Amino acid sequence: MEEEFAIVLKDLRKEFGSKVAVNNISFNIKKGKLFSLLGVNGAGKTTTIRMLMGLSKPTSGEAQVMGHSILTDLSAVKQISNFSPQETSVAPNLTVRENLEFFAKIYGADKEKANGLVKDMIEKFSLGEVENSKAKTLSGGWQRRLSIAMALISSPEVLFLDEPTLGLDVLARRELWHVIEKLKGSMTIVLTTHYMEEAEALSDEIAIMVGGEIKAMGTPDEIKQITGKENLEEAFISIAEGTEK
Amino acid sequence: MRSIEFSKRTTKEILRDPLSYIFCLGFPLIMLIIMTVVDRSIPKEAGMTIFKIQSLAPGMAVFGLTFVMLFTCIQFSKDRSTAFLTRLYASPMKSVDYILGYTVPSIILALIQIAITYVCSFVVAAIIGESLKPLNVLLSIVYLFPSILLYLGFGLLFGGLLNDKSAPGVCSIVITLSCMVGGIWMDVDSMGSAIKNLSHSLPFYHGMKAVRMAVLGEPGDALKPLLITLAYATVIYILAIIVMRGKMKKDVR
Repeated sequence: MEEEFAIVLKDLRKEFGSKVAVNNISFNIKKGKLFSLLGVNGAGKTTTIRMLMGLSKPTSGEAQVMGHSILTDLSAVKQISNFSPQETSVAPNLTVRENLEFFAKIYGADKEKANGLVKDMIEKFSLGEVENSKAKTLSGGWQRRLSIAMALISSPEVLFLDEPTLGLDVLARRELWHVIEKLKGSMTIVLTTHYMEEAEALSDEIAIMVGGEIKAMGTPDEIKQITGKENLEEAFISIAEGTEK
Repeated sequence: MRSIEFSKRTTKEILRDPLSYIFCLGFPLIMLIIMTVVDRSIPKEAGMTIFKIQSLAPGMAVFGLTFVMLFTCIQFSKDRSTAFLTRLYASPMKSVDYILGYTVPSIILALIQIAITYVCSFVVAAIIGESLKPLNVLLSIVYLFPSILLYLGFGLLFGGLLNDKSAPGVCSIVITLSCMVGGIWMDVDSMGSAIKNLSHSLPFYHGMKAVRMAVLGEPGDALKPLLITLAYATVIYILAIIVMRGKMKKDVR
C-alpha cells in the first residue's frame, strides 16, 4: 500500500521551546502528484517541509520520502529530493549556466553529464537568452525560474517548492505556473503557498494547516465541498477561522 | 569532488567582486609605493628601517592577508544571510565540503596575493637600487603559512559568528591591530613597554616578525615567533571550524 506514496508522515511533531510549530500531523502524498500545503503565516507549512528535507529535526514522529526515513536515512532523502526555497538563493556572481552546473555537480554529475543536464534545463526553462548573465543581474522572475531549474537539475523524485511565486508580479507568476504545470506527473511536488488561486490552479491535492495541525485535506473541489464555499479562498478562510459548516 | 565544486564557486564569488581586487591587491601595492617614497624622504640618521623594502615587502604581504580575511568573512556571512547555505544543507554536501570550500579558495587567493606583492616588491627594489634575495623571499612564503591560517581562521570565525553587516566592522579591528601592534606599520620593539607587552601577547606581531626575519636572511631568529603564530593559528582555525559546525547544526535544529 505504502509503495504508492512518495511521502508518508506519521505523527510528525516539531517544538521550538514551548511553542508547538507542528502538532503530530499524519498524512500521505501520492507519487507523481502536486500537493499543496496552505496556511497563514506561522501555520507550520515551512517547518513541515523543512523536516521532510532534513533541514529541521522532528521533536517526535517519523516521515518517509520515497521509502527513506528522514530520521535514519537522510542522505538518501537528500540525494533523491531537491528544494527551491522562499528566498531566491542563487550564487549571485555566478552566471546562470555556472549556477546550474554547480548544482548538477554537487548532486554527483560528472562534467559530461552536467553539461547535458545544464543544456536540458536551459532549454526547458527558456534560459538561453540569460545563460551567460550573472544571476544577480536577473529580474526577480528570472531568478526564481533559475532557482527552480537549479532544484530540478538533479532530476529529483520529490521536489519541494516553498512559496515559489512570492514577490513576483502577476505575469512572472503566471509564467512560473506554466513551468510548474509542465512538471506535473513527472515527479512528486510539494508546494507551499499563500496564493489560493495558485493552489487551485496547480494542485492535485491540498492540505490546510492551522496552528501546526492539518484542518482539512482533499482536492480543491473537495475542500470547497467540505466548507460549502464557492471558491478556495472563502473555503480557506472559513477553515482557518474555524467556521466551516 | 563536492568540496572542489564548492571551492570553485567560492573562488569565483570572491574574484568577481571588484572590491576584492581593490583591497587585496590595489591597496597593499599603493601602500608599498607610498611607503617606499616616505622611506626615501626619511634621513638615514633617523635609523628607521621599517619602511625599507626588505621590511616593507613582507609587511605588505601580511597586510594583504588581512583583506583575504575580510573577504572570506564577508563571503561566509553573506552566504549564511542569503539562505544560500540553507539550500545547500538540503543537498548531499557534508560538513567537510563546506569547510574545505571556504578554506581552499582563501589559501589560493592568499598565495596569489603574496606572489603579486613580492613581484611588485622586486620591481620597486630594482627601481630604488635596493635588493631582495629571492631565496629569502621564497622562504618567507613558507613562513607566511601560519599567518595565512591565522587570518583565514579569523575570517571564518567572524563570518560564522556575525552577520554580513557587522562582520566587516569586527574584521577592521583585526586589520588595525595587525597594522599597529602587529608591526606592519610600526616598529613595535621601539615602543614603550605597554604597547610592547600588548603586541607580544597577540599573534600578529609574531607572524610579522617571522616573515620579516626570513626576508632579512635571519630565518633562525624566526623559529620561535613562527611556532607562536602556528599555535595561535591552529587554535583560531579549530575554533572557527567548531563555530561553523555549530552554526550548521543550529540551522538544522
